[in-house]
Amino acid sequence: MKSKLLLALLAVSLSATANAQVKPEDAIKWRQSAYATMGWSMSRIKANVEGTYNKDDVIKAANVIQAIANSGMGALYLPGTDKGTGWEATRAKAEIWTDKEKLGKVAMAFNKEANEMAKVAATGDAAAVKEQMGKLGGTCKGCHDDFKAKK
Amino acid sequence: MSTQRIRLWDLPTRLFHWLLVLAIAASVVSGQLGGNLIDWHGKIGLFILGLIVFRLVWGLIGSTYARFTQFFPTPARLRAYLRGEWHGVGHNPLGALSVFGLIGLIGLQVVSGLFSNDDISFVGPLFDLVSRDLSNQLTGLHKLSSNGLFVLIGLHVAAIAFYAHVKKDNLIKPMVVGWKETVDAKEATGGGVVALLVALMLAAAVVYAASGALLAPPPPAPPAAETPNW
Repeated sequence: MKSKLLLALLAVSLSATANAQVKPEDAIKWRQSAYATMGWSMSRIKANVEGTYNKDDVIKAANVIQAIANSGMGALYLPGTDKGTGWEATRAKAEIWTDKEKLGKVAMAFNKEANEMAKVAATGDAAAVKEQMGKLGGTCKGCHDDFKAKK
Repeated sequence: MSTQRIRLWDLPTRLFHWLLVLAIAASVVSGQLGGNLIDWHGKIGLFILGLIVFRLVWGLIGSTYARFTQFFPTPARLRAYLRGEWHGVGHNPLGALSVFGLIGLIGLQVVSGLFSNDDISFVGPLFDLVSRDLSNQLTGLHKLSSNGLFVLIGLHVAAIAFYAHVKKDNLIKPMVVGWKETVDAKEATGGGVVALLVALMLAAAVVYAASGALLAPPPPAPPAAETPNW
């Protein structure tokens, strides 16, 4: 009897740790924060390309985007979090969970251009950075078009 | 009854029409492709705004058949047209609905675009005047109403094809050359150089304001030394 109870307790606590790893609300908040931070970085690169170019500034911004792109944040798309509220209601579309193949493609395209952005930023070539910023922005849009709900 | 050639669409109206066709095509392509083209999308949008303002003014002070009062689709005119009793030239009452619909929807596109953002790095020139939330909503509207615009453009083209093939009335040629062979219709008059200058200046003034040039300049940058190194 005692061992059964222990076993049950163990089972409950194990499944609880598995589920309690990330709360849906936190997952959505982290997602939104990551995108907002990348938005900051994109604006920063753009401001440099359009105004006075500061190589270090662009490198910092590009490295932030690269780091987030390689952070494995796909893990934050927990099942069921196409609904819910983080800092605001999520705009993740249900297709994220149903069209994994297409999602994988746009995600990898973004990852590739984000890595390239960091490389180009390191060269300090403003014209090349501007061009790469366009390519990178295109991959942001590639995902927004299909997987981000419009308001 | 003898047919005669009348001046139907004045040159500014024709230029407006075909420049609008080109600009809409360019805006659709740049909007769909995105990337760095999004900056061009914004500039083209301002140009389209200028075209629309010009047309609105030209609809008041342009030549005969370009004026809104000439073709405003009143219920009486629409009824007469549907009964086959309309024999005018220029925009027929049903076509006039399309004209106002297109101008209205394109206007909505342009105005919503001025306040939009693409969640990447582009913001419309008047983005600073609204909250992020309102900007997001206007961006959603911008995308939604573009579908309505595609439908109207499709109808517009289909109607022209219908007129060409079924009613044997070529509507495209007068919009290119300006004149039309017709029976018993008066020549377009008015819309002189002064009217043209007024319309152009008003259009330019609106585009200038919409480009954000009148917004307060950003506050002077704080001293460079204040940027922390963390």
